[in-house]
Formats: sequence, structure tokens, C-alpha cells
Amino acid sequence: MATHPSDFTDFPPEIILKPLALIGLSGLDALNNAVHKEIWDAFANNRRPDRAAVRFKLLNNTFEFPVVKPKRNSYEWYIPKGILKKNWIQKRITLIPAVVVLFYDMEWNDPQWNEKIIECASKVQSIRAAVEGHATRVAVVVIQSGQSPPPSEYMLGAERAQALCAACEIQSKSLFVLPHSDHLMGYIIRLENAFYDIAQNYYHHETKNIKQHRDHLNKTTHQYLFVRHQFKLGFLNELKQDLSTAHKHYMHAYNNLLETRTVDTNMHEVRTVAGFINYKLCKLLFALNLPRDSIAQLKSHIDRYKNRVGSTELLFEHYAWIARQYSAFGELFDEAIRAGLPGIQTQHPGFYYQYAAQFTVKRRQAMRSVCTEATKYPPLPDPLEGIVEYYGQRPWRPGRLSADPHDPQKEQAAVLALQYNERMYNHSAMIISFLGSAISQFKTFHSPRMRKQLVVEMANEYYYSADYGKALTLLSHMLWDYRREKWWYLASHVLNRALQCAYLSAKIQDYVQLSIEALSKFIQVPNKDKDRIFRNITAIMNVTVPQGEPDVPLHSHTKATEIWRSAIEKEPFLLNVDMVNISSFLEVKPKFKQQRYRMDEIIEVEIYVRLTYETVLEGVKAFLTISSATETIEIPITQDGSTTISLESSKVKRFLCHFKPNPLDNGSELHIKNISFILGSDKKRKIAMNFKIEDNKTLDSTVHPELLHFILSPKADFEFDSIVPLTMASITSRECKLSMSVQNSSPALQGEWFPTTISIVNNEDRPVYDVRFTLGLLSSPDNPNPESVTELSLKEGESQPQPINMTAGTINKSSEHSLLFYLKTNRTATATVQIKISYFIDLPEISKLECIKDFTTKITVIKPFEISTNFVTMNFKSISKCFVDDPFIVMPQIKILSPWNLLIVDTELEMVDCFKYSDNTKPPSCISGLEVAEKNIASDAICIQAKYKPKDTPTRVGLYNIKWKRKSDSSGLCVMSSTALSPLPIDECPIAVEVNYPEVVEVQTSVPLKCTLVGKSNTPIRLSLTVEGTDFYMFSGYKKLTVTVPPNDRVELCYNIHPLLTGNTTPPRLQATVLGDNANQEIVKEMFDKIFPQNIFVMPKYNK
Amino acid sequence: MAVCVAVIGKDNSPLYIGGVGNDTSTDNELSRQWLVHTALDALEERLATSNSNTTNSNTNNTRTDLRDLYLGLLYSTDTHKIYGYVTNTRIKLVLVTSSTSPSGSNIRDAEVRTALRRLHALYADAICNPFHLPGDQITSSKFDKQVKNLMLNNV
Repeated sequence: MATHPSDFTDFPPEIILKPLALIGLSGLDALNNAVHKEIWDAFANNRRPDRAAVRFKLLNNTFEFPVVKPKRNSYEWYIPKGILKKNWIQKRITLIPAVVVLFYDMEWNDPQWNEKIIECASKVQSIRAAVEGHATRVAVVVIQSGQSPPPSEYMLGAERAQALCAACEIQSKSLFVLPHSDHLMGYIIRLENAFYDIAQNYYHHETKNIKQHRDHLNKTTHQYLFVRHQFKLGFLNELKQDLSTAHKHYMHAYNNLLETRTVDTNMHEVRTVAGFINYKLCKLLFALNLPRDSIAQLKSHIDRYKNRVGSTELLFEHYAWIARQYSAFGELFDEAIRAGLPGIQTQHPGFYYQYAAQFTVKRRQAMRSVCTEATKYPPLPDPLEGIVEYYGQRPWRPGRLSADPHDPQKEQAAVLALQYNERMYNHSAMIISFLGSAISQFKTFHSPRMRKQLVVEMANEYYYSADYGKALTLLSHMLWDYRREKWWYLASHVLNRALQCAYLSAKIQDYVQLSIEALSKFIQVPNKDKDRIFRNITAIMNVTVPQGEPDVPLHSHTKATEIWRSAIEKEPFLLNVDMVNISSFLEVKPKFKQQRYRMDEIIEVEIYVRLTYETVLEGVKAFLTISSATETIEIPITQDGSTTISLESSKVKRFLCHFKPNPLDNGSELHIKNISFILGSDKKRKIAMNFKIEDNKTLDSTVHPELLHFILSPKADFEFDSIVPLTMASITSRECKLSMSVQNSSPALQGEWFPTTISIVNNEDRPVYDVRFTLGLLSSPDNPNPESVTELSLKEGESQPQPINMTAGTINKSSEHSLLFYLKTNRTATATVQIKISYFIDLPEISKLECIKDFTTKITVIKPFEISTNFVTMNFKSISKCFVDDPFIVMPQIKILSPWNLLIVDTELEMVDCFKYSDNTKPPSCISGLEVAEKNIASDAICIQAKYKPKDTPTRVGLYNIKWKRKSDSSGLCVMSSTALSPLPIDECPIAVEVNYPEVVEVQTSVPLKCTLVGKSNTPIRLSLTVEGTDFYMFSGYKKLTVTVPPNDRVELCYNIHPLLTGNTTPPRLQATVLGDNANQEIVKEMFDKIFPQNIFVMPKYNK
Repeated sequence: MAVCVAVIGKDNSPLYIGGVGNDTSTDNELSRQWLVHTALDALEERLATSNSNTTNSNTNNTRTDLRDLYLGLLYSTDTHKIYGYVTNTRIKLVLVTSSTSPSGSNIRDAEVRTALRRLHALYADAICNPFHLPGDQITSSKFDKQVKNLMLNNV
């Protein structure tokens, strides 16, 4: 709970404290007896909220109960002297226990049982005597060792307990046994709950007693008693923890109090008590989880008492009381929220603290109007001394009910004393405390702006209490937010107050900064007196005390003048003001003239300055700070060659700064970091106004100069508004004046070392030195990884790691340097070669300036030729598969694509394992030494045969290697190109067939046709052969026969054929059918079809 | 009816604050500005919650557009009641009534709604002026007169 400064309106602690049933513990010697101490600690310490709502009090032997007042039988002649007695609650919560519990050490089987029981009984008797007159209950707890007695003694225990009850004259349910053993805490909690039951019983009994009084009361004289009794009932029910009944009785008490007649003399008492009851009501409503009712109760309470002001001389008391109602409610609300009640943005404790602060302000106003004459405390005797029996009564007239002041002099002195006390009271501390609580609540409940307002109010309060330093700190934080949201009216208010604070505390730095901001066009100052503020800035630079701010308290002003006198001569003599975050009378826009500068260019920065305040600033020094990758430089801003510049209002001034780039900054970026204006450069104290430029600051896009000046009379500063600041520029290297030419016979052919000559001509007007080349390959979309397929070299036939560096030393003016390099690529795509040239040159301005230039040249690469393959039989018939041991011819066809004539040096077929040359030796290439031109086709032929049938069909027949070179190339280095030839399926046949027949015969001439069958498998094969005759031939031999071809042996069949007709004829053919195993049927048939000739040309017979 | 009317831009900067009252003293203007400025807290909270509600369910995108521009009573103090209205371009309109005066305390919600709708229309008219710079304070005397009229007419 927040603690606020206390005053006479504070609630007494007994009102605030939550009432708990009071239970007295007697007979425990907590000091000397370890067991007793343990029991007492278990009762009294670590009380968690889930334990019974009771409070324990250790009673010693000498404890005395309050004396009971004699019972009143009739209220007829009784006139109450006040509403609530101050000591009643105190008695209930500390002095009169509901239950007194006697603790006594005794075992049931104690040998001295009889003595013990007598001692215990006498102790009970003495307690009874002490509580005489009160209805306080008595209970006995027997502390035992906790060892369970033997079963035989169960009966003994019961008997003795009964005997004890009888001796002590207590009911058996008021006797408890506490075994002092392991589970002490469990026993204690059970005991506690039992005591609590008895206590509730007691309080119930007490309420009954009070209720009985009611019949004796009458409304005319006993209105106070109606309130008092209902209050007591409410309180007793609260002790009983019957909250809703308690609320009911408090409500009765509250309503009865409303009915009492209030005059000036009892006003204070009535509202004090009303405040207590209202507090109780609100607290109970929160506890009953009825927060809305609680808020409503407070509202109606304030409404009812708002106008019951009481004596006007003590008006401040009224406001103090209202403030206390609000703050107490705020605390209750806060507590409820901590206990789990949800608060919302529009209903939370902050508002009540705020009201409390507001009413405290009113209280102070009332004090100012009524307490002006209370300049000193009245003479002795002190009218405020005296004991008051009732809440809210005045010490100088205790217990008097009559409305007329019985002693006007005493009354007057007392009022004077109260007024004097009020005058001396520190209201600001209280307001600040309330505001502090409110601020934290508003922060919790998402109201940043409300919080800001309260902070400003708090700062004002610090200002009133002359704590200018704190006020200034708060205000300068708040100023920032108002400025950002462009609430200039509020910002002006805050700024002016801050300026006063800065002046009164003589803080030069803050004072100057705030003054500068006050001159901004957005800020309104009191009396529109900006000239005074400007004069003050000048005064500070001249080391003289500035003129005071208007409306400052007089005594502070004199004091401030003194502080200024001592502070003005001292450090600091250079005041740095950060201008970026404040609005001011000076606006600056820096701009690089170009986005990009070359090394040999002069960098120019334009600075536009606008002064919005009506004055002329003379003798201003200005600096531009530029940072690059390597250094940060400061450049003075000059005007007509002079380093001091002058600024005029409503004119936009343009300044130009230029400087040479640092050779080390090549390729980096320049940033404008800061522009600072130093006012009073010729004066003793200088003010540096720094416009720092953040790199990542986003440009203010809300300014639309074309719209801003879309008016009938364009303003002169249109230019300024349209300038877009450019705070970054990049430095690139100087333009290179070398030219390059490329000589080569493009396109390059795939696989060759392609020579290229580059020639560099120095076009500079002076020699360049330390020339370096770097050759590299650039990737392009159609050639993403050039390094993997392309090689560069300075020497033909040897590849070198890329990039290739070389130096060329010095190249004189207009002279040329040539360079030859080779490129070899295996991909038919364009290769892009980058040639990077770097060199140094000495220019008149800059010596040893490095220049870099990139050239690129593109080299197209094409295929020199294309190879396609045909497979043919020995008689050049096209085939689609081959048989094992059946020779055939591979015919690679080389189609020349190169535009350059080529020389085929040699060719070679590199076969896969399952093939071999049909000849015993490797045959020479048919086309070696052949010269070919574009679009020619060179055909090669190689006779091969399959050795065996591999498991998988090979993917190719083999590699066809061609050694070639350009015809024009005389160096003799050949290029070897390899091409994979397309595959050919291989099949196996159990027999091989050879047929010998002539290609050409004469008509009417018999020729032999011999057919040899060779067994290829390991088993004999039986074939049934038939001859398919034709009309063109007669033939002799078996027309149909069955042969057995033995393994690895041969069978020869001889026929004679006799052609009858001329022309292209089909000879008789043998057809074979495999007998037995049918698996090879197809293949044998295919073999026979292939081998037997389809055609034989028959010539006519010449008659010679 | 209304004692103060304010138009606040989407960046929460004040575009127009007009009030009727017996005095136009600095204190009065100041308290009016505080009142409107602090009302932004409640306004922003409303907007934030309504936004988060709609983003939770994407299907309600169309409902965002159709949501009521009138936000109703933002909060009330002992002396004033503050009503809010937000246009589709996030221009916030605030109307303050006095709870102490009989005309202000008995005002019906529908009346405030109508008044704020009219204010919206007046604002739209005012910024249609080609010489008005969007985002600047509204200085049009015609607008001022019309708004003052609006505040008084409903008394």
C-alpha cells in the first residue's frame, strides 16, 4: 500500500485493520519452556490467509481485563456525548478476548493426579475471576507428551477428563488434549478452528446483547446511539467474519448518521464517522466481490457530504476530508486489484488518487483564502491539547452537543491554531504523493497521456514547493512527447514552465537549450515576448545574468539572481545543444551535390540554412563534420572567404563546402555526421548548436513542398522546403583513360587452346606505372560456372589457376602494351573474360592515384564437328543388332561445323570390352591426314565384332577419338576430341552360318552355293532344313533334310544353283527349324534370314 | 450541448480544437487541450482492441470496413463526458460534453452520434479545400464557425 503523508484526516489503524476474532492464550510460558514456545509459535507465526480469521494474544498472569460498565436498564435520562467512542474498537481487538484458553501440562496417568486437577481448577477459577462481567468463554487445553497410553488406560483417560471438566466447571467440549508429538501443526490447526467456533459463538452472543438495547432508544435524543449500536453490530459481525451481515449493519449505521442534524459544531465529528463507516462499507463490498457497488457507494457518499462544508473558517478541513475519502478508496481499490480484481482503463485506482490530489489542491486554495491571518500559533494554553473520548470531536469542547460555542474566546484560539497548523502543512508533498500513486496506476492501465498530464502536474507541484531541479527533470522528459505528437500548445505550456525552472535553478545548459526551443515558431511564450528570450541568450553569451522569467515567485527570483551571479562566471564556456530533437529557430538541410564522386573530383556539399526567428545572427562559425570509412573530418563553412557567417531571418542562405577526397577512401561512402553552428564565436561563452544526422533516420515524408506552396503568394523559402537532404555520397575511383583492343579469330572451337591478343593503349597525358592485369572469367546466365569448364593460360597447352595476375610495369604516354592469352573450354557457350587493369598515376592534384578499369571480352565457342554413327554388315547393309563373332562395320560420320578448315590427323576407336577388331591387328584410320572444310562430311569405317554377350547391353560401342587441328595452325599441337558412339545390342546364336555365293552370276550358268553351319554351343543342335525355291533358279541338292550340328564343329551343305532369268533375283534360301529346344528357334531363323542373300544380280549371257 | 470539439490527425497531432465557453482564457484552453489529449488514451485503446479482435478472424475483414465509426462514450469524469469517433483514414473526432450543465448531462447517445457524423462531414468539406495541406491544422474560419454552430445548436 502506498504511504501518503499523514494529517489529521488519517484513518486510525484500528479502522484500517481487518478485524479478527481475539483469542487469549494463558498458561503458556513461551520464554522458559521450549514446548510452550513451540506451541505459541505454531499459533502465532506464519499465519497464512487460509488459516482461521483469528488473532492470538499471549496472556500472562497479571493480565487485566477492562472493567465492565454497570448495565443500564433504562436509557431514558441518558444523553450520548458523541457517536463513536475511540476506545471501543481498541478494546474489542486487543483487550477483550472472545475465548481465554488455559494451557496446562498434565498426563492422564499422572501420579499426582489429584494435586494437578486442583491446581488446574484453581487456575480456571482465577481466569473466571479476571474476566468477571464479560461473557468471555473459557477453554482448557491439556498438553500431554503424546505417547499413546496403553489400552487399559483408555477408560482412565475418559474418566479423568470428565473429572477435570467437573472440577473446572467447563463443558466437555471446551476441554482439549494437545499431544505434543510429531504432528503438532495439524493439532494446532484443529485447535484453532475449535477456538474460532467458540469465538463466533461469543460474538454472536454479544450482538444479541446490543440488539436488546434498541428497544430502549428513541429517535429524538438517541440518534447517535442508533449509529453507535449499528456500528458495533457491524464490527462484531466483522469479527465473526459474517461480512454480509456486517455490511447490513454498517449500512444502517450510515443511514442513521445521515439522519442526524448537522451543525458547524458537530460537522467534523459526523463526517469523520461517516468517512469511517463508508470506508468499512467499501472495504466489505470489495471483499464481497461487488466492486461496482463499492464504487457507487463512494460516489453517493461524496455526493452526500460534498456540500456539508461546515464552518467556512475551516473550509480546508472539508477538502482534506474529501481528499482522504478518495485516497483511502484508491488504496482499497488497489488492494482489491492485487487480490485479483481486474481493473480497466476507465475504472482503476489512479482516478481516485487523482481526485485526492485535486482536492488537496483545493484544500490548499482554501487554506490560502482563509488562513492568511494565522501567522502565529495562539498563546498557551494550547487549545488543541486535551483528551478526546469520541472520534472526530474537538479537544476544546469535548462531549458537548449544544450548537452554540460555550467559550467564544477558546473557540477562536482553537480555530487560529488549526489554521496555523494548516498553513504550516506541506500540501505539495501530499499532492506529489497522491500524483505519484496515480501516475503509476495510469501507467499500469495503458493511459500514457493521462500519465503525462499528471507528471506535468507533479512537476508544477515541485515548482510550487521550490524544488526546481526535480520539476525541470520531469518537464524536460514530458516535453519530448508533446513535441513528438505536435501538441504545440501543451508543449509550449510545459516548455515555459521548464524555462522558469531552469531560470530559477540557474542551470545554464538547460536554460539555453529551452530558450533556443522557445524561439521556435511553434512555441508560444507568455506576452509574446520572444525578444526577451533572445536577449537572454545573448546575455548568457556575454556572461551577464539574464533577465528573469515572468510570473516567477518573488523570493525565488531574488535567490535565483544570486545563484546566477555566481554561476554565470563559471564553466561551462561552451554549451552544446543537440538540435535534432528540439524544434528551434534554425533549420538546416545539407546536401551532397552529387550522389557519386570520382576520386579526382572535388566533393561539394551544399548547406541550406533558414532562420525563422526575426533577428540577424552575426559572427556565427559553422562546421561540417563528414565521416568516411577511414576518418572523420571537420570542414569550416565559409561565407565569401570568411569563416564567420551571418544569418538573416526569413532568408534561406546557401553555403558551399568543398574538399578533396582522401585517396584511402576509394570505393567507400561519405556521410554527413554533424553540422554545428557556434553562436558568439567572439564572445566568452559560446553556444554550439549541433545538428547531428543519424544514418538510418527516415526522411520526413509528410512535407510536400509543392502542396505547402500551393498558394496564391509563394513564399521565398519554397526552395528550402523542396530541398531533399542528401547526407550520403559514395566515392568511386577515377575514370581510367586506357583503351583496349582484342584480336582473335573467333569463334573458338571446343577443346582447342584459343589464342587472344589484347592491346592496351595509354591515352592518359602522362605515363602510368605499376600496371597490373588480372584475367578472370565472369559467369553469365547461360554459363553459370565458367571456372569448372574453362581454362585460361598464358602458355598454350598448360592450364593456370585463375584469376591470372601479371604486371606490365610502366606504360608511357600513347604507347601500347600487348598481352597474349589462351582459353580452352569444353562447353559450347560464350565465355566472358574479364580483364581488370589497375595502375597508378601522378596527377597534379593527387599523386599516386590508383585507377582501375574493367574490360570484358566475349568469346563464342562452337563445336568443331558433329559425329553420327552407322552400323552396317559386311556387305554394308544397315543393322540394328549384332551377333557374337559376327563381324560388322562401324561407320562414324564426321560433319564439320567449324568455319575454319581443319586437318584430321588421326582417328581411333576405343571399344568397350565386349568388342574387338575383326582383324588381328588394329587397322589404320581411313581418314587420317584428311583436310576438311565447313559442311564436309568425313566417313570412317572400322570392322569389329562382338566377343561375347554381356549381361547388360553396353551404353556405347566405344569412344571415337579424333585428333585434329586447325589447318592454319602450324604449331603441331593437336586437339583430341572424343565422342561416345551409340550402342548396338548384341545377341548370341547357337550356330553360326556362313554362306558362300557369288554376288553376280551369268544366266544359265550353274554356280555352287555352299552353306556352312558351325555349332557354337556346348550341345549338338538338330536342325530341320528346307530349301525355299524360287522361279528364278533351279537348284540341286537336298531339298529337305535334318542335320545335327555338333558342338564346335561344322557341317557343310553344298548346293548348285542355276539362274534362269536375268536381273535382280532372289536365290533359293534355306529355312531352318530347331528340333527339340524351341528357345533358340527365333534367333536361328533370324540368323538364316540375315545370312542368306536377298538378291543376286544375274547378268545376261553375252555371245562372244 | 458540447463544450469542446476536436479533430485529431492520424499521427495524433491536433488538427483543430474548438470550444465554447464563457471565457477563452489560457487556463480554459489548456484544460481543454489536456482533456482532449488524454482522451486519446481511451481512443487508442479502443482502436487497438477492435483491431486485435478483427485480426483474430481473417474472415471478418469486411467487417473492419463496415465497423461503426462512432465509438461512443470513451469515458466520463466528474465534470465531463468524452465521446469518440474515428474515420476510415484514422482521423479522430472527439466531442466533450459537460456533465454539470443540464443540457450536457442528459444528452442521448444518438444525438452525439449525429453531431459527430455532421462533424465528420464538415471536416471532409474543410479538407476538400485545395489550399488546405493535409496534415496541417485546420485554420478555416468557415469550418470554425460551422463547428461552433454545431456545438451550440444542439444545446
